[in-house]
Amino acid sequence: MTDLFVDEYPEQARLVRAAFLTSFVALGIGALFGVIQALHRTGVFRIVESTTYYTVLTGHGVFLVITFTIFFLVGLYQWAVTDSLQRGPVDARLTWSWYGLMSVGTLIAAIAILAGFLDDPPDVLGSELSADVLFTFYAPLQANPIFYAGLVLFVVGTWLAGADWFRTWWAWKRDHPGERIPLPTFMVLTTMIMWYISSIGVAVAILAFILPWSLGLIDSLNPTLTRTLFWYFGHPVVYFWLLPAYLLWYIVLPKLSGGRLFSDPLARVVFILFVLLSTPVGIHHQYLDPGISEGFKFIAMTNTMFLLLPSLLTAFTVVASMEHGARQRGGTGTLNWLRALPWKDPAFTGMALAGLVFAFGGFTGIVNAGMNINYLVHNSLWVPGHIHTQVGTAVALTFMAGSYWLVPQLTGNRLVGRQIALFQVVLWFVGIVFMTNSMYRAGLIGVPRRSAEPQYAFDYEVGVGSMTELDVQLALGGVLLFVSTVLFLAIILLTAFNTDSDPLVDGTIPPALSGPEDSPRVLDDLRVWIGIALVLVVIAYAIPLASIVDRGGLFGPDVGPFPVVVDGVMYLQHGVAYVGVLIT
Amino acid sequence: MNIHAYERLWLVASMVLIVGFIVTITYGTVGLGITMVDDREETISPDDVDEDDRFQDPRVEQVGENEFEAYVVSMTFLFQPDPIEIPANNEVTFYVTSRDVIHSFTVVGTNTNTMVIPGEVSAMTVEFDEPGEYGVVCNEYCGPGHHDMEGSLIVHPEDEYSLTELSVDAPDQVGPGEDVELTISIQNGLLEDLETTVDVEVGDETLEQDVTVPGGETEQVSVTVDGDDLEPGDAEWSASVDDEVETGTVTIGDDADDGGDEP
Repeated sequence: MTDLFVDEYPEQARLVRAAFLTSFVALGIGALFGVIQALHRTGVFRIVESTTYYTVLTGHGVFLVITFTIFFLVGLYQWAVTDSLQRGPVDARLTWSWYGLMSVGTLIAAIAILAGFLDDPPDVLGSELSADVLFTFYAPLQANPIFYAGLVLFVVGTWLAGADWFRTWWAWKRDHPGERIPLPTFMVLTTMIMWYISSIGVAVAILAFILPWSLGLIDSLNPTLTRTLFWYFGHPVVYFWLLPAYLLWYIVLPKLSGGRLFSDPLARVVFILFVLLSTPVGIHHQYLDPGISEGFKFIAMTNTMFLLLPSLLTAFTVVASMEHGARQRGGTGTLNWLRALPWKDPAFTGMALAGLVFAFGGFTGIVNAGMNINYLVHNSLWVPGHIHTQVGTAVALTFMAGSYWLVPQLTGNRLVGRQIALFQVVLWFVGIVFMTNSMYRAGLIGVPRRSAEPQYAFDYEVGVGSMTELDVQLALGGVLLFVSTVLFLAIILLTAFNTDSDPLVDGTIPPALSGPEDSPRVLDDLRVWIGIALVLVVIAYAIPLASIVDRGGLFGPDVGPFPVVVDGVMYLQHGVAYVGVLIT
Repeated sequence: MNIHAYERLWLVASMVLIVGFIVTITYGTVGLGITMVDDREETISPDDVDEDDRFQDPRVEQVGENEFEAYVVSMTFLFQPDPIEIPANNEVTFYVTSRDVIHSFTVVGTNTNTMVIPGEVSAMTVEFDEPGEYGVVCNEYCGPGHHDMEGSLIVHPEDEYSLTELSVDAPDQVGPGEDVELTISIQNGLLEDLETTVDVEVGDETLEQDVTVPGGETEQVSVTVDGDDLEPGDAEWSASVDDEVETGTVTIGDDADDGGDEP
């Protein structure tokens, strides 16, 4: 048995632990907010006011899809780079400073969001401290400036993390001339290239428009422009959540199955496809937007369909690797080999279930991507159904399962409660099946997402079952997922303190069946892929953005801010508007 | 590059699947003519919504044979007009804009669904073939009262649909024995002539008068009830054309039945 990661690279292990800690704290808060929502919108139990629901919803979105996922990513990627290059960073101070910057940014944004729970939030920088604008912060809804500032610091932190990993790789390359980039590092670098290209969109949206506007420096902005810039970033960000899960599926899952990765070259091709195609598709989130012509929507649709390719290739490679592993373990037959897989290992079972859910969710994603069917489901509960199968399970469950394998190596402690861990991942699977079954079906009959009380004067036409049955499934699923999260956090916490033990894991990663020597070297020439990716982005976005600016102006056709007002002012406006309606 | 035979097969099948999806969607767009919300409308500042011909008076209009336009304004946290009434089996183009933040205009259970962005006008042409009442919701978070934002869309059977508006000029009081004269204005918003009957009731008296209102015009009808036929006191009146009804009260005689409140 080789040395544990924590023994070989104690400082890197400390950083990965710190990143995971932040990630898991966010997971706990986000999960609590999630169960509050599941019970609230179904009317089962309402602990907060419906106006406060949106504070909970903003927290749920930001803490889970920004903090939980991305802190896990930086931890995992720090591990992957260190382990596969067998060296630490050039300068550990840079490593700790990006971790610090990301943490400070998260904290600032979190303060702005959580202030929404106060009855009388204080004024900060000239406006009320709150950020009930959800994860998408569509202007002209306005949050306190510190919310946007926090996001900026966080993103700059991730940029520095990428720079740190590139620097480590350059240093490695000098010592290993002519060698192929080890696969885990290749995945890290390509993910970060995608991230650099895509996060420009949100950086411009915030720095050039939304932040100065929230500070009162400019009066108006163009909501179509900031929204388009958001989605320029908003689709690739889902791959930023997903690619660490892919890394675990390609690198760790084959090993857990008892074998090795089927094909290293195809894994590289998959990641390159994500670099090329992740960004020029964002307009598929805007099929229903006015101000964008049908032609641009069509281009986004075709690009999106081609994004299926890397995921379909992944399905093949991952299943083939699992089959290879099962046969190494003595599995036989056409399908009987499935029995030979290590189903008692929570790390394996969690990832396998996550992959299964991901495959199903992928098909619901095709429905979303189909630009004319999209009109039926856009912003209905179908969409959170899709999100919860993909980020909420394919990613989150893989991260949890991966933690069962990784945390012992990062702490030097044995995993506590392996049986409970197995129960936890299965419970997650059961919970998500209930919850998303309800969400998908409710979405098809038009129940909206992002609503505290989706109960209206009209009745939904439920084809099969009833609204009550859908509500109960959603609430039950939410509760099971929350219990599963609590179990996960408890297991990790107990493992962290389980110091007088030896972990039972082997951290070595066996080489792929078909190694990198089988693939052309151009795959490793990252500059080529950056160039092509940029060309595709320009083709997909230059004309739409120019057209939006030409139509509405850089700062919009005089669209003023709309602070998220509460109580008195809101009801006053509501009342005035209502009287207006009665008169007209 | 060494690719396993099965993997090659899978790759080809994947590409066939992807191209197949693109082909079906293209067919839906080009073949079936499912068009999308796009940039065909000019931008409009939210401040100018009140001055805009289409949106200062949100309404439904007939613009051609079997063609209607609905001008809808979204704002926190309601839709105007509410309800929106349209005929079945006719092309209706919705023009929707926002006064404040991003909303959606979503007819529940249908694909009539568009984002409504301040500064932009969403246009979508649809045809409802099933009469009934549909819920309209905003499905984009727009503020703390988002979940209260609801409207309704009433789709009338084609032959029962009218855009008739009624207004009545009636006296509040007449002297004993005086005639009561009601002047009824009937506005026909449809392009076709409206041949209908005005039903008037004053007290126990009922009168009928046939009227033809040319398309897009307003006709006035005067109806007089003989004062001798009416009892002194408060008389309820109503005037109706098709489903439109106006009601009121006319007092006959001097301060009849009105002395009770005096000290």
